[in-house]
Amino acid sequence: MTLTTESMDGDITRVLLDGRLDIEGAAAIDLRMNVLSGSAKFLLIDLRNVSFLGSMGLRSIVVPAQAVRRRGGKVALFAPVPLVEEVIKASNIDQVIPVFHELETAVATLR
Amino acid sequence: MPIEEQPDLLVLDSRLAEVSRAQSWAEALADTLGLRENTRYAIRLCLEEALANVVIHGYQNESGHAIVIRRWISSDTLFFAIEDKAPPFTPVGDPPSTSEPISIESLRPGGNGIRLLRQFAGSLVYEGLAEGNRLTIGFSIQPS
Repeated sequence: MTLTTESMDGDITRVLLDGRLDIEGAAAIDLRMNVLSGSAKFLLIDLRNVSFLGSMGLRSIVVPAQAVRRRGGKVALFAPVPLVEEVIKASNIDQVIPVFHELETAVATLR
Repeated sequence: MPIEEQPDLLVLDSRLAEVSRAQSWAEALADTLGLRENTRYAIRLCLEEALANVVIHGYQNESGHAIVIRRWISSDTLFFAIEDKAPPFTPVGDPPSTSEPISIESLRPGGNGIRLLRQFAGSLVYEGLAEGNRLTIGFSIQPS
């Protein structure tokens, strides 16, 4: 699992994840996600290249999202593949962290 | 595809780092059987959730305990039976509420494992053993 970031207009930090967000993948990104959640105002988590998501991986998304929200920021998920999106929906995460497939819509919602 | 196959067995130590070994073991079989992507995903997910549950909740992250996994095929279903000697715990009881969560604050980080296990497993059977637990997870491997 790799994590790269990209600054976008509107104070949005785009986090691009690549690989499997399983137990090992979650351990690989937790520290950086926590650092990002302490500084980013608007976080767009790009899941398009995430091929697997389990509950430990969800934790790596939820904990930073809660931290950003506590500081008055916003978080959105972008472009999960169908099986990853099924996990997100089965966990009801989509009810509180919006999921988008159109970048423009995601950005407009975060701003 | 064989209708019956002799059980195959893998023994893990009770550490999260061992979970990937079980997933690789299952994926090798998935390759051999030519399983579809959604079935492979479900197997990977359910093994991860079930084994993490044993390690974290059953053994409180204490290494040095054996977790035994057996796999076999019967009537177009691939089964994995996970046995441990941790205190009794069933993930097969009352289903979690589907109305939760209602806010991001109410999300329980890492608290979705059982829900996912129930959602993605084709079948799920828990047996309390004289000393420990056995969870048998089944996946349909019928050709599409």
